Amino acid sequence: MTNTDGTEGTDGTDGTGGPDDMDDMSGDDAFDDDFDLDLLEEELRRAAGILDPIPAQLQQLAVEAFALHDLDARIAELTFDSVTDAIPVRGAVDVPRMLTFHVGGVTVDVELTGQGLMGQVLPPQTARIEVLRGPQVGSTLTTDDMGRFTSTEPPAGPFALRLRTDEGTVVTDWLTA
Amino acid sequence: MNAIHWRSRSRATPVTAYDDMPYTRGGAVDRADVGALVQSAVDGDAAAWKALVEGLSPLVWSVVRAYRLSDADAHEVYQTVWFRFAQHLGRIREPEKAGSWLASTARHESLKVLRGLKRTTPTDDPQLLDRVSEDRTPEQSLLDSEEAAAQSERVRHLWQEFAELGERCRQLLRVLMATQPPSYQEVSASLGIAVGSIGPLRQRCLRRLRARLEARGAV
Repeated sequence: MTNTDGTEGTDGTDGTGGPDDMDDMSGDDAFDDDFDLDLLEEELRRAAGILDPIPAQLQQLAVEAFALHDLDARIAELTFDSVTDAIPVRGAVDVPRMLTFHVGGVTVDVELTGQGLMGQVLPPQTARIEVLRGPQVGSTLTTDDMGRFTSTEPPAGPFALRLRTDEGTVVTDWLTA
Repeated sequence: MNAIHWRSRSRATPVTAYDDMPYTRGGAVDRADVGALVQSAVDGDAAAWKALVEGLSPLVWSVVRAYRLSDADAHEVYQTVWFRFAQHLGRIREPEKAGSWLASTARHESLKVLRGLKRTTPTDDPQLLDRVSEDRTPEQSLLDSEEAAAQSERVRHLWQEFAELGERCRQLLRVLMATQPPSYQEVSASLGIAVGSIGPLRQRCLRRLRARLEARGAV
């Protein structure tokens, strides 16, 4: 999209705005039309840059997210999410969101409510669990002997759990709470 | 500008390298670099990561906007997408398709938020017009100058007509107008539509937009 300067390459007829150029075109007309549409797309791109640009602070958060890059941690994949995988209960409001993550033999079940989160690591084991909202250190929980954990801070926005178990570190897939 | 930085990294690459490209779009030119940048980032190169963010974050932003997420939701989904990308870096099977990976993740996460418990008011594109006065970029300041008044008017009209297009066209154009023009593969991943349908749909939508502009005498 470099031809923003006008009629270069269009043999002098700039082809804008003919009412008859909607559908059956051939040869130069079709070429002119494509060229016009490219210009229009470019104009939209500029308009979006002015009226709906990506906020600079937001992009900075993505730059800082590099800190989340950790090749040693195993990723527990999201295998169930009630938002997409469960049949909604009619008329039910404020139903908890149920999530299940899996990696290897480890399962993490999590339930999110407006009051907080609770969950369980299976098979039952003690683990330290960090509630992540971004690259910064999150709040830390410890499971009981049954692998259960609770937090009274309801997650909002980007969310993941980092589990430190005897067998190493597991991080759940990120999702939007 | 970020765009210049991104483009300066690009090498001349034969168009034939891109099986999904009917013709060269800006984004495609940089694609061979994306795989190399991902690899460098995997190896711990923070500058490569930054270049990836600068090159591909306009696409992620366009996708969340295409789905009309509210400001708050758009910010959250955008972050989730990048956090997940950072997490999966080094495990992504086709690093050169990182743009499609991001676009597809942004699409799924946007749809999920829309389906979820949160019911927030979708963004109304015309409302964005009111923002011009709030947080000034150099481009916006330029629009304030008197000689640019006509251009400013044109931008407003264009945005209004764009916002009133049918949902399909509005979505497609919002993705296409990302600051770094996306490849058709990325557009396909953004919207879940076949690569082959994008070209014809794009033409139709842009013609429709042009007809609307002509009708209001704004061409």
